[in-house]
Amino acid sequence: MSRGTLPPFSVPWKKVMRLFLRRAVWLMAVILAGGLLGATLVRYAPGYGVDERELDPRLSQASVEALRVQHHPNANLLGYYAKYLTNAVRGDLGISESTQRPVSELIRERFPVTAKAVLLGMLSAWSLAFFLAMLGQYFRGWVFEVSSTLLTGFLLALPSTVIALLFVYFRAPVYLAIACVTFPKLFRFIHNLLVQAYEQPHVLAARARGIGPVRIFLRHVLAFASPALFALLGVSLSLAFGAAIPIEALTDSPGIGQLAWFAAINRDLPLVVNLTLLVTLITVAGNSLADYSGHLATRAS
Amino acid sequence: MLRRLRVFASLILFAAAACARAQTGGVLHFCLHGEPKTFNPNLVDDEAAENVRYLTGGVLIRLNRQTQVLEPALASSWQVSKDGRKITFQLRKSLYFSDGTPFTSEDVAYTMKSLMDPQLHSPTGDSFRSGEGTVEIQTPTIGTISITFPAPIAGLERLFDQVAIMSAHSPKKEMAVLGPFYVSDYKAGSYVELARNPNYWKHDAQGHALPYLDGIHLDIQRNRDIELLRFERGDLQLINRLDAESYKRLSKENSSAPRNAGTGLDSDFLWFNESPNAPMAESKKSWFRTTEFRRAISAAINRDDISRMVFDGHAKPAYGPISPANHFWFNAAIPAPKYDPQSALKLLGQAGFRFANDELRDKSGNRVEFTLVTNSGNAIREKMASMIQQDLSEIGIKVSVVTLDFPSLLERMTRTFDYDACLLGLVNTDLDPNGQMTVWLSSGENHQWNPSQKTPATPWEAELDKLMHQQATALNDTERKKAFDQAQQIIYEQQPLIYIVNRDVLTAFSPAVHGASPTVLTPPAFWNAEVLQLAASSQQGAER
Amino acid sequence: MSSSKSLRLVAGLLLSAIFLLALGANFVAPYSYAKQFRNAPSAAPSAVHLFGTDALGRDEFSRLLFGTRVSLLLAPAAALLSTFIAGILGGLAAFLGGWWERAILASADLLMALPLLFVLLALRATLPLDVAPLISAMATFLILSLLGWPSSLRVVWAAARNIRESDFLLLARSSGSSPLRVIVRQILPSLSPVLAAQFWVTIPVFILAEATLSMLGLGVMEPLPSWGNLLRGLENPSAFQANPWTIAPLILLIIVVFCFQFILPSRGDLD
Repeated sequence: MSRGTLPPFSVPWKKVMRLFLRRAVWLMAVILAGGLLGATLVRYAPGYGVDERELDPRLSQASVEALRVQHHPNANLLGYYAKYLTNAVRGDLGISESTQRPVSELIRERFPVTAKAVLLGMLSAWSLAFFLAMLGQYFRGWVFEVSSTLLTGFLLALPSTVIALLFVYFRAPVYLAIACVTFPKLFRFIHNLLVQAYEQPHVLAARARGIGPVRIFLRHVLAFASPALFALLGVSLSLAFGAAIPIEALTDSPGIGQLAWFAAINRDLPLVVNLTLLVTLITVAGNSLADYSGHLATRAS
Repeated sequence: MLRRLRVFASLILFAAAACARAQTGGVLHFCLHGEPKTFNPNLVDDEAAENVRYLTGGVLIRLNRQTQVLEPALASSWQVSKDGRKITFQLRKSLYFSDGTPFTSEDVAYTMKSLMDPQLHSPTGDSFRSGEGTVEIQTPTIGTISITFPAPIAGLERLFDQVAIMSAHSPKKEMAVLGPFYVSDYKAGSYVELARNPNYWKHDAQGHALPYLDGIHLDIQRNRDIELLRFERGDLQLINRLDAESYKRLSKENSSAPRNAGTGLDSDFLWFNESPNAPMAESKKSWFRTTEFRRAISAAINRDDISRMVFDGHAKPAYGPISPANHFWFNAAIPAPKYDPQSALKLLGQAGFRFANDELRDKSGNRVEFTLVTNSGNAIREKMASMIQQDLSEIGIKVSVVTLDFPSLLERMTRTFDYDACLLGLVNTDLDPNGQMTVWLSSGENHQWNPSQKTPATPWEAELDKLMHQQATALNDTERKKAFDQAQQIIYEQQPLIYIVNRDVLTAFSPAVHGASPTVLTPPAFWNAEVLQLAASSQQGAER
Repeated sequence: MSSSKSLRLVAGLLLSAIFLLALGANFVAPYSYAKQFRNAPSAAPSAVHLFGTDALGRDEFSRLLFGTRVSLLLAPAAALLSTFIAGILGGLAAFLGGWWERAILASADLLMALPLLFVLLALRATLPLDVAPLISAMATFLILSLLGWPSSLRVVWAAARNIRESDFLLLARSSGSSPLRVIVRQILPSLSPVLAAQFWVTIPVFILAEATLSMLGLGVMEPLPSWGNLLRGLENPSAFQANPWTIAPLILLIIVVFCFQFILPSRGDLD
């Protein structure tokens, strides 16, 4: 790797495809298991099938009975899940029990809100982390080390619920809260990575030869760091998405997080199953992206 | 810079408006505290949907929230037959739904038919169900309708305050309305936009068409702290229900914004689990079934302290199911609650309990202790529970407070009966005691301390059943009141539900809102939305 | 580097001081944590109430001391346990590879994605209502550590994979040591910076999670205070305005986590 770019290695496409397929099947199994486990958890949680409306003194005996019967179709869990999956293949995600609206509609309404917050949050966290880490390379010394450690240490010590509350108080947008939660971890990682990269012998050699800093960064440092950064991208996706759920629920942002909280409180089986599948999908996808790029990185080196 | 420009622009607007001086128009902004589950007025069962129904629905008879008197609305007059089964309405002529469809008796008939559908299971419809049989509806003319119920319903006409008339013919179905506003836009999870109904029938004394406002923007906001912050920043001009803490905070900032409408109808109470199916020790069951025990607990709770510390003084000690705010039905003969731990100990002594070394023990020497469950996430109720815990420790009772999320709590209350005592509240929207039938009848689902009994477990519950039936069937109000006064007396003597406080109804208005006059009935702040006005200077700000 | 050494010393002293204060809460606290001074609710700090009182008139200083005892003893213990689990499982995954690795990673992903709220709810339902506060607090932190390891697992696993190919491991493997022995003897010690970082990152998470759990009827029950309970006071901005000391538990939490950061050897989180 003396020239600092990825060494050319022939891609065994057949093997990669097979690997990819095997991986996809495995992921699918994990996601489906997640859905089933999610369904089991709601179905056997206390308070499942109990409706708050039963306490309404205006309702007649018959209506209270009707409310109680409403939940019975889901008594057989495996049957329910199998039916749900066959319907889901046809694009029908079921009807939410508590809102009586199609789940696909609820998710379609809310997913863009969360997706936007997560993407913007990741974008801000990444740019800030990268910018600061780069800054650290050009202002080396204890001042930067201490102040950056203090800042990220402070952010890491703040629990995400407290961050969400602060954002409620200052009415800052949700994506910034997500950025606040992901930034310190990103920064520390990128910072360490860059330190490593600049300590590589060929980078040191390039410097000694008087090659310009921009060129060093683009041709040598980025090339060294990119597989790891790619892996970090995957991890940070599931990290940001995981942070979005409590933050959205606390700040009352009309996204997936709020919906998930609502579904949990109402023991809304169809909604919980769908959201569990969605969250599992994103977590697993983010993490496998990280694994896969990690895999490539080890091969490349 | 931008802000300065905005101020300048609003100044110009203000000057222009001051010349014209017609304070109509503008969009009022406030919050719903949940997602309205439906816009079909017959299906409404949650608060958010009820608020939308109140603002958009036209009703035949309207209960004036301030005077607590029924007033003609879409019906110019009505008559209830002597046997209390039939009601006949004369409808106003030449009225139109918001989409221009004419309003006739057919629409009322259509609304009532769909409301009385036995498969509907809505609170609005259920309150009309008095007995077996079908409802007969006759529409002799397009301006007259009479409805006959299978059995007499006490206070029948007041129920029509909840029945928003739907159009039988409009292509827009339930979205065509007769109320002051109609739903013009809705984004799930975010907002409901209401626009002025140009066909609304009401006019003010000068002959101006109501409502004055161009529209109302309802933000869906569960978080009350965010609501308060937005109110403080001027994004919202009204808060329909405020807690005492926020009320205090607003009072400090701007004494004119928060408005106390007085003691409300809602109550907080605790009760002991007296169900025979409860999985608890027999000794415990026998304490909870002892009248003296319940009365002693009631006397040992310092309601004044709770009112002062939890509600900042904005709550009144309560002893009974009917709040003093309910002018007609409140039984004034019931003595006011008094904090008296000494008399509590005396009562306990009479029932064989012994108090020694700061510990209370029953006849067989068991330490008196129980858990008090309440719903989690409700800071006010958690504080109340903590104070009750402390108060009862003074008479030697050890209370553990456990908060549970609502479905879990409900499961214990209605399915497993696995709890000792529970602290909850009841939101009371109805002035009439008929609205509490299922609470007091021993067969009722909401007879919380021992629900759905086949036969009354105690003589006083049998007596209560009799009195409740009496008040529900007596056809004149004096007789009904007499029976229900007696019922209140029994409830006071037996304390099956130990009432703690009636909260004050607290609201807030920005100074820009004119015509505000909050009341204790729902909806307290915007019950007169049709005559609310926005000062011209704020209209610009509101439309940001 | 002497400056980092002295920093470590200061952090250590500070932590021990806080620990000692918390342990001695019974002697240091001026009042019982449950005593309600009903004539002085939400009082400002004064000589009588150093940090003022809460909405029920309870002495904030005493509550902070007792709350520190509960949270500061239990949260790090739970963080230790969960980091340990993550270390073992992460080490196993990296060392064994193949299907084992995939299954462990997948189960971590699943645990992270599942609505665990329901597990906690079910657990609450199986426990009797009248559990002693301390037992319920301990149970809570135990559950938290049993459910909290997946968030650390990937980090640990990634680090462990890097040292999988190192010489001393190859040596250990060829000499036929059992995997568990290799993990405990070889992998965990060389992972210590990563594990340490995970340890102090999870402490604040657990402290706050405990507060959420007490809303579900698990966790630390009234009137026993914990940092989580006390931090819930921050939800109400007006309480904070009335008595700025409601932020004290948050400051203490940040100080403690900082101290842990400086004491324990750490070089970033993810490497």
